[in-house]
Amino acid sequence: MIISADRLTKQFRTLRRKEGPLGAIATLFSRDYEIKDAVRDVSFKLDAGELVGYIGPNGAGKSTTIKMLTGILVPTSGTCTVDGIVPWADRQANGRQIGVVFGQRTQLYWDLPLIESFQLLRAIYNVPAATYERNLREFTELLGLDEFIRTPVRQLSLGQRMRGDFAAAMMHEPKVVFLDEPTIGLDVVAKENIRQFIARVNRDRGTTFILTTHDLADIEKLCARIILIDHGRKLYDGSVETIKGRYGRNRTLTADLNCENCDDVRITVPGANVVSREGPRIVIEFDRDAVRADELVVKLAQHYELRDVTIAEPPLEAIIRDIYQHGLGDGSVAARDGLLVTADVETVS
Amino acid sequence: MFTHIGSIALRVYLYYALWSALYANNGPQQSFSFKDIITYSVLALLVGLIYNVDGPYVVREKIREGNIAIDLMRPISVPLYVFADTVGQAGFALVQIAVALPIAIGLLALTGTHISAPASPLIALAFLVSVALGFLVNFFLDLLMATITFWTMEIFGFQLMVQFITSLLAGAVVPLQFFPSPVTAIAQASPFAAIYNAPLSIYLGKYQGPELLSTLALQAVWVVVFAVGALALWRVGERRVVVQGG
Repeated sequence: MIISADRLTKQFRTLRRKEGPLGAIATLFSRDYEIKDAVRDVSFKLDAGELVGYIGPNGAGKSTTIKMLTGILVPTSGTCTVDGIVPWADRQANGRQIGVVFGQRTQLYWDLPLIESFQLLRAIYNVPAATYERNLREFTELLGLDEFIRTPVRQLSLGQRMRGDFAAAMMHEPKVVFLDEPTIGLDVVAKENIRQFIARVNRDRGTTFILTTHDLADIEKLCARIILIDHGRKLYDGSVETIKGRYGRNRTLTADLNCENCDDVRITVPGANVVSREGPRIVIEFDRDAVRADELVVKLAQHYELRDVTIAEPPLEAIIRDIYQHGLGDGSVAARDGLLVTADVETVS
Repeated sequence: MFTHIGSIALRVYLYYALWSALYANNGPQQSFSFKDIITYSVLALLVGLIYNVDGPYVVREKIREGNIAIDLMRPISVPLYVFADTVGQAGFALVQIAVALPIAIGLLALTGTHISAPASPLIALAFLVSVALGFLVNFFLDLLMATITFWTMEIFGFQLMVQFITSLLAGAVVPLQFFPSPVTAIAQASPFAAIYNAPLSIYLGKYQGPELLSTLALQAVWVVVFAVGALALWRVGERRVVVQGG
Protein backbone atom coordinates (compact mmCIF):
# COMPACT_ATOMS: atom_id res chain seq x y z
CA MET A 1 0.00 0.00 0.00
CA ILE A 2 1.52 3.30 -1.03
CA ILE A 3 -1.27 5.81 -0.42
CA SER A 4 -3.75 5.77 2.38
CA ALA A 5 -6.38 8.44 2.98
CA ASP A 6 -8.37 8.21 6.18
CA ARG A 7 -11.52 10.32 6.54
CA LEU A 8 -9.90 13.28 4.80
CA THR A 9 -11.95 16.43 5.26
CA LYS A 10 -11.27 19.95 4.06
CA GLN A 11 -13.48 22.89 4.82
CA PHE A 12 -13.12 26.28 3.21
CA ARG A 13 -14.38 29.49 4.69
CA THR A 14 -15.50 31.79 1.94
CA LEU A 15 -16.59 35.36 2.16
CA ARG A 16 -20.17 35.87 1.09
CA ARG A 17 -19.94 38.99 -1.00
CA LYS A 18 -22.76 41.41 -1.34
CA GLU A 19 -23.84 42.24 -4.85
CA GLY A 20 -23.52 45.39 -6.89
CA PRO A 21 -21.16 48.35 -6.70
CA LEU A 22 -22.39 49.35 -3.23
CA GLY A 23 -22.19 45.74 -2.13
CA ALA A 24 -18.45 45.74 -2.76
CA ILE A 25 -18.11 48.59 -0.27
CA ALA A 26 -20.51 47.01 2.21
CA THR A 27 -18.41 43.83 2.05
CA LEU A 28 -15.47 45.82 3.37
CA PHE A 29 -17.28 46.56 6.61
CA SER A 30 -19.52 43.65 7.39
CA ARG A 31 -18.13 40.23 6.73
CA ASP A 32 -20.27 37.22 6.37
CA TYR A 33 -18.55 33.89 6.01
CA GLU A 34 -19.86 30.59 4.88
CA ILE A 35 -18.26 27.23 5.52
CA LYS A 36 -18.10 24.79 2.64
CA ASP A 37 -17.00 21.18 2.75
CA ALA A 38 -14.77 20.75 -0.26
CA VAL A 39 -13.90 17.20 0.78
CA ARG A 40 -15.81 15.22 3.40
CA ASP A 41 -14.69 11.95 5.03
CA VAL A 42 -12.93 10.56 2.01
CA SER A 43 -11.00 7.34 2.64
CA PHE A 44 -9.20 5.05 0.22
CA LYS A 45 -6.09 2.96 -0.15
CA LEU A 46 -3.87 2.53 -3.18
CA ASP A 47 -1.33 -0.17 -3.86
CA ALA A 48 1.99 0.62 -5.47
CA GLY A 49 1.77 0.44 -9.25
CA GLU A 50 -1.95 1.17 -9.48
CA LEU A 51 -3.32 3.58 -12.03
CA VAL A 52 -6.49 5.00 -10.54
CA GLY A 53 -8.97 7.42 -12.04
CA TYR A 54 -10.20 10.00 -9.55
CA ILE A 55 -13.32 11.46 -11.07
CA GLY A 56 -16.22 13.70 -10.23
CA PRO A 57 -18.00 16.76 -11.65
CA ASN A 58 -16.57 20.27 -11.41
CA GLY A 59 -16.21 21.34 -7.81
CA ALA A 60 -16.52 17.78 -6.48
CA GLY A 61 -13.31 18.05 -4.48
CA LYS A 62 -10.86 16.26 -6.76
CA SER A 63 -8.21 18.97 -6.87
CA THR A 64 -8.57 19.62 -3.16
CA THR A 65 -7.86 15.96 -2.42
CA ILE A 66 -4.82 16.03 -4.70
CA LYS A 67 -3.55 19.16 -2.96
CA MET A 68 -3.79 17.45 0.41
CA LEU A 69 -1.94 14.40 -0.91
CA THR A 70 0.81 16.64 -2.31
CA GLY A 71 1.16 18.53 0.97
CA ILE A 72 -0.01 21.87 -0.41
CA LEU A 73 -3.18 21.96 1.70
CA VAL A 74 -3.60 20.91 5.32
CA PRO A 75 -6.84 18.99 5.88
CA THR A 76 -9.37 20.26 8.40
CA SER A 77 -9.56 16.75 9.81
CA GLY A 78 -8.61 13.22 8.87
CA THR A 79 -5.21 12.17 7.65
CA CYS A 80 -3.35 10.57 4.78
CA THR A 81 0.05 9.13 4.06
CA VAL A 82 2.05 8.82 0.86
CA ASP A 83 4.55 6.00 1.19
CA GLY A 84 4.54 6.49 4.96
CA ILE A 85 4.96 10.26 4.90
CA VAL A 86 2.25 12.64 6.07
CA PRO A 87 2.45 15.13 3.19
CA TRP A 88 1.76 18.44 4.96
CA ALA A 89 3.79 17.49 8.04
CA ASP A 90 6.88 16.84 5.95
CA ARG A 91 6.15 18.62 2.71
CA GLN A 92 9.70 18.59 1.41
CA ALA A 93 10.30 14.87 2.02
CA ASN A 94 6.99 14.16 0.30
CA GLY A 95 7.99 16.47 -2.55
CA ARG A 96 10.98 14.30 -3.37
CA GLN A 97 8.87 11.17 -3.96
CA ILE A 98 5.97 12.65 -5.90
CA GLY A 99 5.50 14.20 -9.30
CA VAL A 100 2.61 16.43 -10.29
CA VAL A 101 1.18 17.53 -13.61
CA PHE A 102 -1.45 20.25 -13.51
CA GLY A 103 -3.25 20.58 -16.84
CA GLN A 104 -4.13 24.17 -15.99
CA ARG A 105 -0.73 25.31 -14.79
CA THR A 106 2.81 24.64 -15.85
CA GLN A 107 5.83 23.91 -13.72
CA LEU A 108 8.16 24.83 -16.57
CA TYR A 109 9.98 28.16 -16.53
CA TRP A 110 8.12 30.45 -18.86
CA ASP A 111 11.06 32.30 -20.43
CA LEU A 112 13.58 29.47 -20.50
CA PRO A 113 14.07 26.83 -23.17
CA LEU A 114 12.51 23.52 -22.17
CA ILE A 115 15.89 21.85 -21.69
CA GLU A 116 16.91 24.47 -19.12
CA SER A 117 13.76 23.81 -17.09
CA PHE A 118 14.83 20.17 -16.99
CA GLN A 119 18.31 21.14 -15.83
CA LEU A 120 16.87 23.31 -13.08
CA LEU A 121 14.59 20.50 -11.94
CA ARG A 122 17.51 18.14 -11.99
CA ALA A 123 19.29 20.46 -9.53
CA ILE A 124 16.16 20.96 -7.39
CA TYR A 125 15.59 17.20 -7.03
CA ASN A 126 19.27 16.25 -6.92
CA VAL A 127 18.87 13.77 -9.76
CA PRO A 128 22.13 11.87 -10.40
CA ALA A 129 23.69 12.75 -13.76
CA ALA A 130 23.37 9.24 -15.18
CA THR A 131 19.69 8.95 -14.20
CA TYR A 132 18.99 12.36 -15.66
CA GLU A 133 20.68 11.54 -18.97
CA ARG A 134 18.86 8.22 -19.27
CA ASN A 135 15.45 9.73 -18.47
CA LEU A 136 16.02 12.69 -20.74
CA ARG A 137 16.83 10.34 -23.62
CA GLU A 138 13.87 8.09 -22.94
CA PHE A 139 11.33 10.88 -22.47
CA THR A 140 12.63 12.78 -25.48
CA GLU A 141 12.01 9.72 -27.58
CA LEU A 142 8.64 8.75 -26.07
CA LEU A 143 7.21 12.26 -26.11
CA GLY A 144 8.96 13.53 -29.23
CA LEU A 145 10.54 16.48 -27.43
CA ASP A 146 13.37 16.83 -29.95
CA GLU A 147 11.74 19.38 -32.20
CA PHE A 148 11.12 21.96 -29.46
CA ILE A 149 13.47 21.18 -26.58
CA ARG A 150 15.46 24.36 -27.21
CA THR A 151 12.41 26.58 -27.63
CA PRO A 152 11.38 28.91 -24.79
CA VAL A 153 8.34 27.49 -23.02
CA ARG A 154 6.18 30.55 -23.71
CA GLN A 155 6.42 29.82 -27.44
CA LEU A 156 5.28 26.20 -27.17
CA SER A 157 1.83 25.03 -28.20
CA LEU A 158 -0.35 23.60 -25.44
CA GLY A 159 0.31 20.06 -26.64
CA GLN A 160 4.07 20.60 -26.68
CA ARG A 161 4.01 22.27 -23.28
CA MET A 162 2.06 19.40 -21.74
CA ARG A 163 4.54 16.90 -23.12
CA GLY A 164 7.29 19.00 -21.56
CA ASP A 165 5.38 19.10 -18.28
CA PHE A 166 5.08 15.31 -18.24
CA ALA A 167 8.80 14.86 -18.77
CA ALA A 168 9.46 17.45 -16.05
CA ALA A 169 7.23 15.64 -13.57
CA MET A 170 8.96 12.29 -14.16
CA MET A 171 12.58 13.39 -14.34
CA HIS A 172 13.29 12.56 -10.69
CA GLU A 173 11.57 9.16 -10.95
CA PRO A 174 8.79 9.78 -8.44
CA LYS A 175 7.01 6.84 -6.83
CA VAL A 176 3.63 8.51 -7.13
CA VAL A 177 2.47 10.87 -9.84
CA PHE A 178 -0.63 13.04 -9.54
CA LEU A 179 -2.21 14.08 -12.80
CA ASP A 180 -4.74 16.86 -12.45
CA GLU A 181 -6.66 17.07 -15.72
CA PRO A 182 -3.57 16.44 -17.82
CA THR A 183 -5.32 16.13 -21.16
CA ILE A 184 -7.51 19.23 -20.88
CA GLY A 185 -7.61 21.17 -24.12
CA LEU A 186 -5.46 18.74 -26.09
CA ASP A 187 -6.26 17.44 -29.55
CA VAL A 188 -6.85 13.73 -30.13
CA VAL A 189 -3.31 12.97 -31.28
CA ALA A 190 -1.72 14.73 -28.32
CA LYS A 191 -4.15 12.99 -25.94
CA GLU A 192 -3.27 9.62 -27.35
CA ASN A 193 0.44 10.38 -27.11
CA ILE A 194 0.09 11.37 -23.45
CA ARG A 195 -2.03 8.32 -22.63
CA GLN A 196 0.51 5.98 -24.15
CA PHE A 197 3.24 7.67 -22.17
CA ILE A 198 1.34 7.26 -18.89
CA ALA A 199 0.59 3.59 -19.62
CA ARG A 200 4.19 2.96 -20.55
CA VAL A 201 5.69 4.56 -17.43
CA ASN A 202 3.13 2.78 -15.26
CA ARG A 203 3.97 -0.57 -16.82
CA ASP A 204 7.75 -0.25 -17.13
CA ARG A 205 8.54 1.54 -13.88
CA GLY A 206 5.66 0.53 -11.65
CA THR A 207 4.91 4.19 -10.96
CA THR A 208 1.62 4.77 -9.15
CA PHE A 209 -0.71 7.25 -10.85
CA ILE A 210 -3.74 9.13 -9.65
CA LEU A 211 -5.52 10.70 -12.58
CA THR A 212 -8.29 13.27 -12.38
CA THR A 213 -9.98 14.04 -15.65
CA HIS A 214 -13.24 14.97 -17.27
CA ASP A 215 -12.38 13.01 -20.36
CA LEU A 216 -13.64 9.54 -19.52
CA ALA A 217 -11.89 8.14 -22.55
CA ASP A 218 -8.71 8.71 -20.50
CA ILE A 219 -10.18 6.49 -17.80
CA GLU A 220 -11.41 3.81 -20.18
CA LYS A 221 -8.04 3.56 -21.86
CA LEU A 222 -5.87 3.72 -18.76
CA CYS A 223 -7.56 2.84 -15.49
CA ALA A 224 -8.82 -0.43 -14.12
CA ARG A 225 -10.11 1.28 -11.00
CA ILE A 226 -11.99 4.49 -10.40
CA ILE A 227 -12.84 6.49 -7.33
CA LEU A 228 -15.89 8.64 -7.89
CA ILE A 229 -16.60 11.64 -5.69
CA ASP A 230 -19.29 14.28 -5.71
CA HIS A 231 -19.98 17.16 -3.33
CA GLY A 232 -16.84 16.16 -1.50
CA ARG A 233 -18.03 12.66 -0.68
CA LYS A 234 -16.88 9.37 -2.08
CA LEU A 235 -19.64 7.71 -4.09
CA TYR A 236 -17.90 4.75 -5.62
CA ASP A 237 -14.56 3.01 -5.38
CA GLY A 238 -14.03 -0.04 -7.50
CA SER A 239 -13.32 -1.41 -10.92
CA VAL A 240 -14.50 0.19 -14.12
CA GLU A 241 -15.99 -3.17 -15.15
CA THR A 242 -18.16 -3.35 -12.04
CA ILE A 243 -19.59 0.10 -12.48
CA LYS A 244 -20.35 -0.69 -16.10
CA GLY A 245 -21.94 -4.00 -15.16
CA ARG A 246 -24.03 -2.54 -12.39
CA TYR A 247 -25.02 0.81 -13.79
CA GLY A 248 -24.79 0.27 -17.49
CA ARG A 249 -27.32 -2.50 -18.06
CA ASN A 250 -28.93 -0.79 -21.03
CA ARG A 251 -27.86 -1.78 -24.50
CA THR A 252 -28.64 -0.16 -27.79
CA LEU A 253 -29.29 -2.18 -30.90
CA THR A 254 -28.94 -0.38 -34.17
CA ALA A 255 -30.34 -2.15 -37.21
CA ASP A 256 -30.48 -1.18 -40.88
CA LEU A 257 -33.56 -2.78 -42.36
CA ASN A 258 -34.30 -3.63 -45.91
CA CYS A 259 -37.77 -2.16 -46.06
CA GLU A 260 -39.83 -0.48 -48.75
CA ASN A 261 -42.18 1.34 -46.49
CA CYS A 262 -40.02 1.91 -43.50
CA ASP A 263 -42.47 4.17 -41.66
CA ASP A 264 -44.83 1.28 -41.10
CA VAL A 265 -42.31 -0.80 -39.18
CA ARG A 266 -43.64 -2.11 -35.86
CA ILE A 267 -41.58 -3.93 -33.28
CA THR A 268 -43.14 -5.53 -30.23
CA VAL A 269 -40.83 -6.80 -27.58
CA PRO A 270 -41.63 -6.09 -23.92
CA GLY A 271 -38.76 -4.25 -22.25
CA ALA A 272 -37.39 -2.87 -25.48
CA ASN A 273 -38.05 0.61 -26.77
CA VAL A 274 -37.56 2.12 -30.16
CA VAL A 275 -35.72 5.29 -29.48
CA SER A 276 -35.16 6.60 -32.97
CA ARG A 277 -35.87 5.82 -36.57
CA GLU A 278 -34.49 7.49 -39.57
CA GLY A 279 -35.24 5.93 -42.91
CA PRO A 280 -34.18 2.31 -42.82
CA ARG A 281 -32.20 2.78 -39.57
CA ILE A 282 -33.89 1.85 -36.34
CA VAL A 283 -32.40 2.19 -32.87
CA ILE A 284 -33.79 0.07 -30.06
CA GLU A 285 -32.83 0.28 -26.44
CA PHE A 286 -33.28 -2.58 -24.04
CA ASP A 287 -32.37 -3.70 -20.57
CA ARG A 288 -29.75 -6.40 -20.81
CA ASP A 289 -31.26 -8.27 -17.86
CA ALA A 290 -34.87 -8.13 -19.07
CA VAL A 291 -34.50 -8.80 -22.76
CA ARG A 292 -32.26 -11.28 -24.49
CA ALA A 293 -30.42 -9.78 -27.41
CA ASP A 294 -30.79 -12.92 -29.54
CA GLU A 295 -34.56 -12.91 -29.10
CA LEU A 296 -34.68 -9.32 -30.19
CA VAL A 297 -32.62 -9.98 -33.28
CA VAL A 298 -34.66 -13.08 -34.14
CA LYS A 299 -37.88 -11.15 -33.79
CA LEU A 300 -36.60 -8.44 -36.07
CA ALA A 301 -35.33 -10.95 -38.59
CA GLN A 302 -38.70 -12.73 -38.70
CA HIS A 303 -40.31 -9.65 -40.16
CA TYR A 304 -37.59 -7.78 -41.94
CA GLU A 305 -34.49 -8.42 -43.85
CA LEU A 306 -31.51 -7.11 -41.84
CA ARG A 307 -28.69 -5.43 -43.68
CA ASP A 308 -26.65 -4.54 -40.62
CA VAL A 309 -26.94 -5.00 -36.86
CA THR A 310 -24.77 -3.63 -34.04
CA ILE A 311 -25.28 -3.91 -30.30
CA ALA A 312 -23.42 -1.46 -28.08
CA GLU A 313 -23.02 -0.99 -24.37
CA PRO A 314 -23.32 2.58 -23.18
CA PRO A 315 -20.02 4.44 -23.06
CA LEU A 316 -18.63 5.02 -19.57
CA GLU A 317 -19.41 8.65 -20.14
CA ALA A 318 -23.16 8.02 -20.31
CA ILE A 319 -23.05 5.98 -17.11
CA ILE A 320 -21.03 8.56 -15.21
CA ARG A 321 -23.19 11.39 -16.47
CA ASP A 322 -26.20 9.56 -15.18
CA ILE A 323 -24.61 9.06 -11.78
CA TYR A 324 -23.68 12.77 -11.59
CA GLN A 325 -27.27 13.69 -12.33
CA HIS A 326 -29.25 11.10 -10.47
CA GLY A 327 -26.89 9.66 -7.90
CA LEU A 328 -26.14 5.98 -7.56
CA GLY A 329 -29.67 4.84 -6.70
CA ASP A 330 -31.04 2.22 -9.03
CA GLY A 331 -28.92 1.03 -11.89
CA SER A 332 -31.80 0.76 -14.31
CA VAL A 333 -32.00 4.51 -14.78
CA ALA A 334 -28.53 4.54 -16.20
CA ALA A 335 -28.25 5.87 -19.69
CA ARG A 336 -31.88 6.87 -19.77
CA ASP A 337 -31.02 10.44 -19.99
CA GLY A 338 -28.82 10.35 -22.99
CA LEU A 339 -30.73 7.90 -25.06
CA LEU A 340 -34.40 7.68 -24.29
CA VAL A 341 -35.73 11.16 -24.03
CA THR A 342 -35.31 12.31 -27.58
CA ALA A 343 -37.22 9.54 -29.27
CA ASP A 344 -40.86 9.33 -30.11
CA VAL A 345 -41.18 6.18 -28.11
CA GLU A 346 -43.29 3.58 -29.73
CA THR A 347 -44.55 0.68 -27.72
CA VAL A 348 -46.91 -1.68 -29.37
CA SER A 349 -48.33 -4.57 -27.48
CA MET B 1 18.49 46.36 -20.29
CA PHE B 2 19.58 49.23 -22.56
CA THR B 3 16.43 51.23 -21.92
CA HIS B 4 17.06 50.62 -18.25
CA ILE B 5 20.54 52.11 -18.48
CA GLY B 6 19.18 54.96 -20.55
CA SER B 7 16.68 55.77 -17.83
CA ILE B 8 19.48 55.74 -15.25
CA ALA B 9 21.46 58.29 -17.26
CA LEU B 10 18.34 60.41 -17.46
CA ARG B 11 17.73 60.25 -13.73
CA VAL B 12 21.37 61.07 -12.97
CA TYR B 13 20.98 64.21 -15.03
CA LEU B 14 17.68 65.01 -13.31
CA TYR B 15 19.28 64.80 -9.86
CA TYR B 16 22.17 66.91 -11.07
CA ALA B 17 19.82 69.61 -12.34
CA LEU B 18 17.72 69.49 -9.18
CA TRP B 19 20.55 69.68 -6.67
CA SER B 20 22.55 72.28 -8.59
CA ALA B 21 19.48 74.54 -8.68
CA LEU B 22 18.83 74.01 -4.97
CA TYR B 23 22.45 74.46 -3.97
CA ALA B 24 22.90 77.55 -6.17
CA ASN B 25 20.19 79.32 -4.21
CA ASN B 26 20.70 77.96 -0.72
CA GLY B 27 24.32 76.91 -0.45
CA PRO B 28 25.43 73.62 1.12
CA GLN B 29 22.93 71.84 3.36
CA GLN B 30 23.91 70.40 6.71
CA SER B 31 27.18 68.58 6.32
CA PHE B 32 26.56 67.70 2.67
CA SER B 33 28.69 69.49 0.10
CA PHE B 34 27.44 69.65 -3.48
CA LYS B 35 29.83 66.86 -4.37
CA ASP B 36 28.48 64.81 -1.44
CA ILE B 37 24.87 65.18 -2.47
CA ILE B 38 25.55 64.28 -6.10
CA THR B 39 27.54 61.25 -4.97
CA TYR B 40 24.70 60.32 -2.60
CA SER B 41 22.07 60.55 -5.34
CA VAL B 42 24.01 58.57 -7.90
CA LEU B 43 24.84 55.84 -5.38
CA ALA B 44 21.21 55.72 -4.20
CA LEU B 45 20.16 55.15 -7.81
CA LEU B 46 22.69 52.39 -8.36
CA VAL B 47 22.09 50.65 -5.02
CA GLY B 48 18.37 50.89 -5.81
CA LEU B 49 19.02 48.75 -8.89
CA ILE B 50 20.19 45.95 -6.62
CA TYR B 51 17.38 46.38 -4.11
CA ASN B 52 14.42 46.79 -6.40
CA VAL B 53 14.56 43.45 -8.16
CA ASP B 54 11.43 41.39 -8.60
CA GLY B 55 12.13 38.80 -5.89
CA PRO B 56 9.32 38.62 -3.35
CA TYR B 57 6.91 40.54 -5.59
CA VAL B 58 6.70 37.40 -7.67
CA VAL B 59 5.52 35.51 -4.60
CA ARG B 60 2.64 37.91 -4.23
CA GLU B 61 1.49 37.13 -7.77
CA LYS B 62 2.02 33.41 -7.29
CA ILE B 63 -0.16 33.37 -4.20
CA ARG B 64 -2.81 35.48 -5.89
CA GLU B 65 -2.97 33.28 -8.96
CA GLY B 66 -2.48 29.98 -7.19
CA ASN B 67 0.80 29.11 -8.88
CA ILE B 68 2.38 28.89 -5.45
CA ALA B 69 1.09 25.29 -5.59
CA ILE B 70 3.88 24.47 -8.05
CA ASP B 71 6.56 25.67 -5.63
CA LEU B 72 4.91 24.00 -2.65
CA MET B 73 4.83 20.56 -4.25
CA ARG B 74 8.60 20.61 -4.69
CA PRO B 75 11.15 19.53 -2.10
CA ILE B 76 12.29 23.08 -1.50
CA SER B 77 11.98 25.83 1.06
CA VAL B 78 10.05 28.50 -0.80
CA PRO B 79 11.62 31.49 1.05
CA LEU B 80 15.08 30.10 0.30
CA TYR B 81 14.11 29.59 -3.32
CA VAL B 82 12.87 33.17 -3.54
CA PHE B 83 16.05 34.39 -1.86
CA ALA B 84 18.23 32.54 -4.37
CA ASP B 85 16.16 33.99 -7.19
CA THR B 86 16.50 37.49 -5.75
CA VAL B 87 20.26 37.19 -5.30
CA GLY B 88 20.52 35.99 -8.89
CA GLN B 89 18.60 39.02 -10.09
CA ALA B 90 20.73 41.29 -7.91
CA GLY B 91 23.77 39.75 -9.60
CA PHE B 92 22.36 40.79 -12.93
CA ALA B 93 21.78 44.28 -11.49
CA LEU B 94 25.51 44.41 -10.70
CA VAL B 95 26.20 43.92 -14.39
CA GLN B 96 23.88 46.81 -15.17
CA ILE B 97 25.68 48.93 -12.61
CA ALA B 98 29.05 48.09 -14.13
CA VAL B 99 27.75 49.54 -17.38
CA ALA B 100 25.75 52.42 -15.92
CA LEU B 101 28.37 53.74 -13.52
CA PRO B 102 30.95 54.84 -16.13
CA ILE B 103 28.14 56.42 -18.13
CA ALA B 104 26.93 58.35 -15.09
CA ILE B 105 30.48 59.47 -14.22
CA GLY B 106 31.15 60.50 -17.80
CA LEU B 107 27.88 62.43 -18.00
CA LEU B 108 28.61 64.31 -14.80
CA ALA B 109 32.19 65.00 -15.89
CA LEU B 110 30.75 66.89 -18.89
CA THR B 111 29.16 69.29 -16.42
CA GLY B 112 32.38 69.55 -14.46
CA THR B 113 31.01 67.57 -11.50
CA HIS B 114 32.85 64.64 -9.98
CA ILE B 115 31.78 61.86 -7.69
CA SER B 116 33.76 61.29 -4.51
CA ALA B 117 35.69 58.08 -4.12
CA PRO B 118 35.53 56.35 -0.75
CA ALA B 119 37.98 57.91 1.72
CA SER B 120 39.82 54.68 2.47
CA PRO B 121 39.77 50.99 1.56
CA LEU B 122 38.27 50.35 5.00
CA ILE B 123 35.39 52.71 4.25
CA ALA B 124 34.89 50.99 0.90
CA LEU B 125 34.75 47.62 2.64
CA ALA B 126 32.34 48.91 5.30
CA PHE B 127 30.17 50.32 2.49
CA LEU B 128 29.99 46.94 0.74
CA VAL B 129 29.11 45.15 3.97
CA SER B 130 26.49 47.78 4.68
CA VAL B 131 24.94 47.43 1.21
CA ALA B 132 24.75 43.66 1.73
CA LEU B 133 22.99 44.17 5.08
CA GLY B 134 20.68 46.75 3.50
CA PHE B 135 19.88 44.24 0.75
CA LEU B 136 18.90 41.66 3.38
CA VAL B 137 16.73 44.11 5.35
CA ASN B 138 15.01 45.10 2.12
CA PHE B 139 14.54 41.47 1.04
CA PHE B 140 12.99 40.31 4.30
CA LEU B 141 10.78 43.39 4.47
CA ASP B 142 9.50 42.58 0.97
CA LEU B 143 9.08 38.90 1.86
CA LEU B 144 7.16 39.85 4.98
CA MET B 145 4.74 41.91 2.95
CA ALA B 146 4.38 39.28 0.24
CA THR B 147 3.60 36.70 2.92
CA ILE B 148 0.67 38.76 4.13
CA THR B 149 -0.94 37.88 0.76
CA PHE B 150 -1.70 34.44 2.21
CA TRP B 151 -4.31 36.18 4.34
CA THR B 152 -5.45 39.09 2.26
CA MET B 153 -4.92 37.90 -1.33
CA GLU B 154 -4.45 41.55 -2.22
CA ILE B 155 -1.60 43.63 -0.93
CA PHE B 156 -0.67 45.97 -3.73
CA GLY B 157 -2.04 49.13 -2.12
CA PHE B 158 -0.34 48.37 1.17
CA GLN B 159 2.89 47.53 -0.61
CA LEU B 160 2.79 50.80 -2.50
CA MET B 161 2.32 52.67 0.75
CA VAL B 162 5.25 50.89 2.39
CA GLN B 163 7.29 51.60 -0.73
CA PHE B 164 6.67 55.34 -0.42
CA ILE B 165 7.43 55.30 3.28
CA THR B 166 10.56 53.30 2.59
CA SER B 167 11.89 55.62 -0.06
CA LEU B 168 11.27 58.61 2.19
CA LEU B 169 12.40 57.22 5.55
CA ALA B 170 15.19 55.12 4.05
CA GLY B 171 16.83 58.12 2.48
CA ALA B 172 16.51 56.84 -1.06
CA VAL B 173 15.63 60.28 -2.39
CA VAL B 174 16.85 62.80 0.17
CA PRO B 175 19.50 62.12 2.84
CA LEU B 176 17.82 61.71 6.22
CA GLN B 177 20.15 64.33 7.62
CA PHE B 178 18.20 66.95 5.64
CA PHE B 179 15.04 66.52 7.72
CA PRO B 180 14.36 68.59 10.87
CA SER B 181 16.43 66.95 13.60
CA PRO B 182 13.61 65.14 15.48
CA VAL B 183 12.46 63.59 12.20
CA THR B 184 16.04 62.67 11.37
CA ALA B 185 16.39 60.91 14.69
CA ILE B 186 13.18 58.93 14.21
CA ALA B 187 14.04 58.05 10.63
CA GLN B 188 17.54 56.93 11.53
CA ALA B 189 16.23 54.70 14.28
CA SER B 190 13.67 53.17 11.89
CA PRO B 191 14.53 49.99 10.05
CA PHE B 192 14.18 51.81 6.74
CA ALA B 193 17.36 53.81 7.37
CA ALA B 194 19.22 50.51 7.38
CA ILE B 195 18.35 50.10 3.69
CA TYR B 196 19.71 53.26 2.01
CA ASN B 197 20.86 55.86 4.49
CA ALA B 198 23.30 53.66 6.41
CA PRO B 199 25.43 52.44 3.48
CA LEU B 200 25.39 55.79 1.68
CA SER B 201 26.34 57.74 4.79
CA ILE B 202 29.13 55.28 5.45
CA TYR B 203 30.42 55.76 1.91
CA LEU B 204 30.51 59.53 2.38
CA GLY B 205 32.38 59.10 5.65
CA LYS B 206 29.57 60.53 7.80
CA TYR B 207 30.12 57.78 10.36
CA GLN B 208 33.53 57.09 11.88
CA GLY B 209 34.92 54.55 14.36
CA PRO B 210 32.38 53.41 16.95
CA GLU B 211 29.55 55.19 15.18
CA LEU B 212 30.31 53.23 12.03
CA LEU B 213 30.33 49.97 13.94
CA SER B 214 27.09 50.72 15.73
CA THR B 215 25.44 51.62 12.40
CA LEU B 216 26.45 48.25 10.95
CA ALA B 217 25.35 46.50 14.15
CA LEU B 218 21.94 48.17 14.00
CA GLN B 219 21.57 47.05 10.38
CA ALA B 220 22.39 43.50 11.43
CA VAL B 221 19.75 43.68 14.16
CA TRP B 222 17.14 44.73 11.62
CA VAL B 223 18.16 41.87 9.34
CA VAL B 224 17.56 39.40 12.17
CA VAL B 225 14.28 41.01 13.22
CA PHE B 226 12.80 40.97 9.73
CA ALA B 227 14.20 37.55 8.87
CA VAL B 228 12.69 35.98 11.97
CA GLY B 229 9.41 37.83 11.45
CA ALA B 230 9.11 37.00 7.75
CA LEU B 231 10.04 33.33 8.14
CA ALA B 232 7.74 32.82 11.14
CA LEU B 233 4.87 34.43 9.28
CA TRP B 234 5.66 32.32 6.23
CA ARG B 235 5.44 29.11 8.26
CA VAL B 236 2.01 30.05 9.50
CA GLY B 237 0.91 31.29 6.07
CA GLU B 238 2.05 28.14 4.30
CA ARG B 239 -0.22 26.16 6.63
CA ARG B 240 -3.31 28.15 5.80
CA VAL B 241 -2.69 28.46 2.10
CA VAL B 242 -5.75 28.59 -0.05
CA VAL B 243 -4.89 27.78 -3.61
CA GLN B 244 -6.69 30.00 -6.04
CA GLY B 245 -8.19 28.83 -9.30
CA GLY B 246 -8.92 25.14 -8.85
